[in-house]
Amino acid sequence: MTTTAPVPTLYEDTAPYWRAAVEGRFALPRCRACRRFHHHPRAWCPYCWCTDLEWAEPSGRGIVLTYTTVHQPPSPAFTAPYVLAVIELAEGPRMMANVVDCAPDTVRVGTPVQVTFEPRGDVAIPQFRPREETPS
Amino acid sequence: MQELVLRHFVTNSGIGPNAVDGLLVCPAGMAGGQGADVFNHERINDALGIRPRFCETINVGGATYTVMLTRAATAIRAGLADAVLCVGAGKFPKVGAGGADLMARMISHPDFEYPYGSFIPALYALAATRHMAERGTPREALAAVAVTSREWALRHPDALMRPAGPLTIEQVLDSRPIASPFHLLDCSVPCEGGAAFLVMRGELARELTQQPAYLLGFGEHHDHGNISHASDFATMGAGVSARTAFAMAGLAPSDVDIAQLYDAFSINPILLLEETGLAEPGKGGHFYLNGAAAPDGVLPVNTYGGLLSFGHTGDASGMSMLIEGARQVMGQAGDRQVEADIALVHTYGGMMADHSTVLLGRTAR
Repeated sequence: MTTTAPVPTLYEDTAPYWRAAVEGRFALPRCRACRRFHHHPRAWCPYCWCTDLEWAEPSGRGIVLTYTTVHQPPSPAFTAPYVLAVIELAEGPRMMANVVDCAPDTVRVGTPVQVTFEPRGDVAIPQFRPREETPS
Repeated sequence: MQELVLRHFVTNSGIGPNAVDGLLVCPAGMAGGQGADVFNHERINDALGIRPRFCETINVGGATYTVMLTRAATAIRAGLADAVLCVGAGKFPKVGAGGADLMARMISHPDFEYPYGSFIPALYALAATRHMAERGTPREALAAVAVTSREWALRHPDALMRPAGPLTIEQVLDSRPIASPFHLLDCSVPCEGGAAFLVMRGELARELTQQPAYLLGFGEHHDHGNISHASDFATMGAGVSARTAFAMAGLAPSDVDIAQLYDAFSINPILLLEETGLAEPGKGGHFYLNGAAAPDGVLPVNTYGGLLSFGHTGDASGMSMLIEGARQVMGQAGDRQVEADIALVHTYGGMMADHSTVLLGRTAR
């Protein structure tokens, strides 16, 4: 059993996502036909199956769609308590992440969050921290 | 385990090998981390000495067994077989010995979920949190599901948690926290187990038993793979499969007398009651709190203790639900027998992803 936090494997279609994260940039594929961002990255748009995609940078803003505070982690690689959440990005796609830089019991459904990056081994993984709500 | 199930079937079925011309089995060893034996049907053919016309190893997770029933009925209607034996046996990996991590790897996306510390109770907790926030389901209602399941388990001689005696809401809330809102007693109990059932035309079934369980309707729906791709977090697609089953049977939710609803965690029967139309949206929790699902309630649910108190048998996890639904309409449920003409059984596979509903009845329609 590993005691260091797991890292993603990089594939042709996903490597730009992880490489951007190392540079502190949040990058996602966007379909050139329907103009929608999607997560996770793949070689086609899951909404219209168009294969003409570009890499672009969404705002990194989102809200907590749902969450759980883990008290008993699945392996020693994780230190409890931590918040596992599904984030709904402002641009539409949803993704899993941890909500970090806050007390776990302050997270709620609907908490506004902003992307941040956690270095892990040779890569970095996108994470989210609570953000002050500012009128747009 | 599989050997034990087959021995029981051979001893008690009252038929010989020539009477079986179809076989559906689940993969062996999957949840134990030994990989999946996709040729398990070939092993069972040799073990039983049968040479079926219709035969497959299939896996739809917890939905496998109601899907087996659906596939078997479809094959029989198409003339591909006359009597299809369905077999499931399974183990659960030991949670304390790396099992939680193993199951997390099986059920989570390896790159986009697993590195965040996802694992099974936490993934279900995501659905629970969302349902509680969106529908106002109280925390006590989740605990009431575990309490009700235990009440039923006390009436089943084989229920794993029967010796533990009755449970209270306070005991559930006071048990060790796992992943909010779940505490230990909101989680199903890992164990080993299995069963077999035979699907055949009514006239053949009546030669074997005075009271068969008739398959009145079935439906399926397959939503997300990984839970971060779920179409809707407060509902998970069970409604589509239930509506298909009701339409086929010409029945409505109000016709259902008992329900067996896959309860890997305490939130699930609440979600499924609402989705299948057995309770109004937002009322699934109150259904448990006011005793409607309990013994002597208006709609008994998981009348054998469910996965929460009977036990969660790994690869064969949905089998016990279907067997209990069938036993109830066949009048073979012993101390926990309910006057039930129509039983709804809903199981799902993956993270509430693959849905399968079947309606069983005492009389053919």
